[in-house]
Amino acid sequence: MKKVQFKSNYSQYFFLAPQLLILLIFLYWPIIQTFKDAFTMQDAFGFGSQFAGFDNFLFIFSDPSYFTAFKFTIIYSFVITFITGSIGLLLAVQANKVMHGKSAYKTLLIWPYAIAPAVVGVMANYFFSERYGLLHHLFNNLWGFNWYENVFDAYIYVIIAGSWKQISANFIFFLAGLQAIQKTVIEASIIDCKSNIRRFWTITFPLLMPTTFFLIIINITYAFFDTFGIIDTTTIGAPGSETKTLVYKAYIDGFKGLDLGSAGAQSIMMMIIVLVITIFQFRYIEGKIHYN
Amino acid sequence: MKKLISIFVLLVSFAFTSNSYSKTEIHWWYGNSGFLGDVIIEIANRFNESQDEYMVIPTGKGSYEDNMAATIAAFRAGDQPHYSQVYDAGAAIMVAQVKNGVVIGFEEMAEKYGIDVDADNYIPGIKNFYADGDGKMIGVPFNSSTCLMYANMDILNEVGIEEVPKTYEEFEGMAQKILDAGYIPLLQSHSPWIWTENFFSRHNLLMTDGNNGYDAVPTKTLFADTEAFVYHWTKVKEWYEKGYYGYKGRAWGDNQAPFTNGEAAFWFGSAASFGGMKGVLPNFTTNPIPYWDSVTGGKEYPTFIGGAANWILNGHTEEEYKGLAKFIEFMGSPEMDLYYHNMTGYAAVTKGGIELAETINFYRASPYHKAVGDQLGLEGSTIPGGYRAGNWPQIREVIYENVEPMLNGDITVEKALSNMDKGAAKLLKQFAKTL
Repeated sequence: MKKVQFKSNYSQYFFLAPQLLILLIFLYWPIIQTFKDAFTMQDAFGFGSQFAGFDNFLFIFSDPSYFTAFKFTIIYSFVITFITGSIGLLLAVQANKVMHGKSAYKTLLIWPYAIAPAVVGVMANYFFSERYGLLHHLFNNLWGFNWYENVFDAYIYVIIAGSWKQISANFIFFLAGLQAIQKTVIEASIIDCKSNIRRFWTITFPLLMPTTFFLIIINITYAFFDTFGIIDTTTIGAPGSETKTLVYKAYIDGFKGLDLGSAGAQSIMMMIIVLVITIFQFRYIEGKIHYN
Repeated sequence: MKKLISIFVLLVSFAFTSNSYSKTEIHWWYGNSGFLGDVIIEIANRFNESQDEYMVIPTGKGSYEDNMAATIAAFRAGDQPHYSQVYDAGAAIMVAQVKNGVVIGFEEMAEKYGIDVDADNYIPGIKNFYADGDGKMIGVPFNSSTCLMYANMDILNEVGIEEVPKTYEEFEGMAQKILDAGYIPLLQSHSPWIWTENFFSRHNLLMTDGNNGYDAVPTKTLFADTEAFVYHWTKVKEWYEKGYYGYKGRAWGDNQAPFTNGEAAFWFGSAASFGGMKGVLPNFTTNPIPYWDSVTGGKEYPTFIGGAANWILNGHTEEEYKGLAKFIEFMGSPEMDLYYHNMTGYAAVTKGGIELAETINFYRASPYHKAVGDQLGLEGSTIPGGYRAGNWPQIREVIYENVEPMLNGDITVEKALSNMDKGAAKLLKQFAKTL
């Protein structure tokens, strides 16, 4: 194949410029500002700004509700990843088997993905309303459901609200993954093994590993960052601060509490956490995955 | 054809609005929504119709918190409105910003641009709440409310209670009867505002050191140190367990809904809540919030002013401030004050407005409106009429975070209150550093 080479040394910069400018304005500039905020102490309007060293970090580490938020975020992202991944996979496998009306199933299962998290939260609000909520009444009949004060019940509320939409995302990618598996491999395996379930776990699932790995990262990122709208429209972090995610806490402290120093420090902590998780995933999990 | 007509109407309305570009625009941001937001728009419309030099453009930014955050963000970006509505919990932050040139005090504005409404024309309690340490009024009193007790008289009649309770002791005595009849005896919509801040004011107790922040920058709250406060929450928890008090989460509306639907006998909310209830709940009354007889020895004290004030922001032209001065004058007129009082249930904030109400026998026609003035007008308090504590929005959050584990029994009342103190002390310290 012939290598394509541009002659000019400058024209590429010209074409890259708009994209770089966008990155600069919407990514690097805010990051720099965040660092500035995290290491300064200032009032809400930005006056009285002074270098604070690690004061803002010490402040959040001495805050018990920060650790509650940390704990919840970890639990939340693991549970959401697991639930959305497994249900998405189950639906994808079933939809892949369907012969008639395949696209109708697909479309219907993909739809929820198009709904904004805040809207999902408002919908969940109806389901869990004490006055007219179907799920509230169902759970209440089962064990006396009260998310206003019971932490476990509040978890159920935000987990159901947070999972529903993300199942669609998992479904799409798993379905695509399944369709990419070559028929010949499956047909060959049918000769060796009769059990559908065993064949799935020994042949199909390992071949889906790249998709699974990708979805784990996507789901964790979703639970970390995109569930903000869901928390804000459902429990607003209650009871106590038990259902506040780290992002939500940073928002409350920064925008409602108007404490930009603390919010900045929290953002940097979040960056570090995501970095650690990502490195861990690529180091230890990716090594076990075979891309073709 | 319909389409054509609507296009025509649109074009005509454009033609008319484009006239407004020649007028001086004054931007007013607010943090009310729904009915209260509509009234604000109506006020602006009336002003705009009353003259044709200036045009006030009101913009709703969501909740009080949202509006404050939006105003601050706009200021930092150099794009602030002229006039912005900031709530009670943000008053300390706004007053502190006069020295930085963010906020222009009312009195300075009045002097420079000749506002024909004197600061002394505003009711002293309300004026002092939005004044600086020297007593100079900074914020312009607007929607001033306080917490009131709403009672469903049909339920009380049904269970044979003739008098609405004045004290918590009386309430406690009748709660079982209401519960037995299948109703929720009591609900309230804002734990930090009603049962913390205004618990202290109602019982003439200091809430923070430094004389509620009026004499010195406060360093701690006095929650766990105040015996009466510990007693109150111990009782609340007991009521919650017995079913006398129903907790429906943090959302204001979720706690109000059972009352509005006729399922609860009493509900504590804002003086301005009645607008949404009138015509929905057939037979209700507004009453002063109860107090503990055992704490005050039978005396009643006024509660703090709640709600919000409008604040003048720096950085605009002389011509625009002249218009704003006219607008402030317009809003401070007895007619507009009474109009707002009547529409929303917020207190009348000017002496002129109150006089007008009396002249036309307003309270006989609408007894709903009386409780707020009565409660705010009580005398004999030895504590300041407010609190000057920074980071208060976050302190409210800390209060909420500890109320729930206290009610569900995860932590004791004493522990919850000392947690609140600890959290608040840290936030107060943080705020003091930025002064």
